[in-house]
Amino acid sequence: MSKSSDVAIRTERLSRRFGRSWALDSLDLEIQRGSTVAVLGPNGAGKTTLFRVLATLLRPSNGHVEVLGSVLPRDADAVRSRAGMLTAAGYVYDELTGLENLRFAALMSGERPDATALRAVIAEVGLEDAADKRVRAYSAGMRKRLELARLMLRPLELVLLDEPFVSLDHEGVDLVQAAIQRWQAAGGTVLVASHQVADALRHADRALLLTGGRLERDAPAADWGPS
Amino acid sequence: MSDLWRRTWAILWKDLLIELRTKQALNAMVFFAGLVLLLFSFAIGPNPDLLRELAGGLLWVAIVFTGTVSLGRSFQSEELAGGLQLMRLYPGERRAIFLGKLLANLMLLLAVEVVLFPVAGVLFQINMWPNAWGLTGIAVLGSFGFSTVGTFYAALTVHLRARELMLPLLVFPALIPLLLAAVNATGGLILGDAMGQVSGWLRLLVAYDVILFVVCIWIFPIVLEE
Repeated sequence: MSKSSDVAIRTERLSRRFGRSWALDSLDLEIQRGSTVAVLGPNGAGKTTLFRVLATLLRPSNGHVEVLGSVLPRDADAVRSRAGMLTAAGYVYDELTGLENLRFAALMSGERPDATALRAVIAEVGLEDAADKRVRAYSAGMRKRLELARLMLRPLELVLLDEPFVSLDHEGVDLVQAAIQRWQAAGGTVLVASHQVADALRHADRALLLTGGRLERDAPAADWGPS
Repeated sequence: MSDLWRRTWAILWKDLLIELRTKQALNAMVFFAGLVLLLFSFAIGPNPDLLRELAGGLLWVAIVFTGTVSLGRSFQSEELAGGLQLMRLYPGERRAIFLGKLLANLMLLLAVEVVLFPVAGVLFQINMWPNAWGLTGIAVLGSFGFSTVGTFYAALTVHLRARELMLPLLVFPALIPLLLAAVNATGGLILGDAMGQVSGWLRLLVAYDVILFVVCIWIFPIVLEE
């Protein structure tokens, strides 16, 4: 077992039940700080549930979870201030503009939002021309970009990207890949759950395959062939 | 500004801005409140003495029904946008979510009451102006208590399938002491407070507000857990 300070995520017999079905079933994981991990698997494999537990949105039903040295759910707030999650559902407020969505996110994250800095972040995801438009006029891809911009508002030690490439064009996919590289360069730990395997593996050091809430395969990214 | 208040302000700003742009809750509330008062005045008929006597009760029934219309929407719209989940991802004090939502609900309800009281005055043939300050105080205290309990239960029921049914079922019984105090204080003021009972009912209103606010804000973070 690695030193605790080197480990970003450690789960021991992590299980999460919804009614009678187990979305995660006795999952043992250890992910090193600074690594990028692709989390793969079919629908219902438990990828989103795993991310939601790690992001403190769900309590585990059983088992031990440690994220960035904090035990969940006990130290959830300590994790929230250092981790961020891009959700598959794309959570943004339709009646606010892109810039207002970012301003709200910054205020809620405890930041003091500065309009110039917010515009710089929104420009980074290629939405500068749509910054003052209401989000209801955005396409699915633009909403995803806005969510990505929200993650860029503050430095993060752990980034959880749940289906980050869905709805994005080539340029959008490249933006996500560039963001992953930036988080890597800053020493952050990045987890990418996606059905777009090639995109998920592009910057990954390691890949996990989940099936039925269990870890089916855990191998270096280079070992994953086209199949 | 402390962290708690910055987050509270963010939620209040966001909710009021969205409401200002859509006017969904406000339009529905004003229309619904006016309709309830109109139906009451039709049902009771042109009897000024009886209308004066019942005015306190009728006003507060209209306020509670109207407030319940907007309460259901307050967390439901968040949930539809995934916003409640999003808000749970942010670090910091989760009680800010309760405070922000409570203030947004309270401001909406008070905005409706600004229209409701004069309309009630016309329909029930009551001159409210001599008691304007007293009635304003009762409206603020009563609306604060209602918004506190309502915001708490709206968050509690947001994940339920039968939330539209469950919300009033949970909220109305919890409001009985508040309604008793608000109806009697309002009625007492309108009728001239001959027995000097209004101050007693006001004390009950203040006590209800303080106790329920402390309990609700204390428990709220647990309610958000999934």
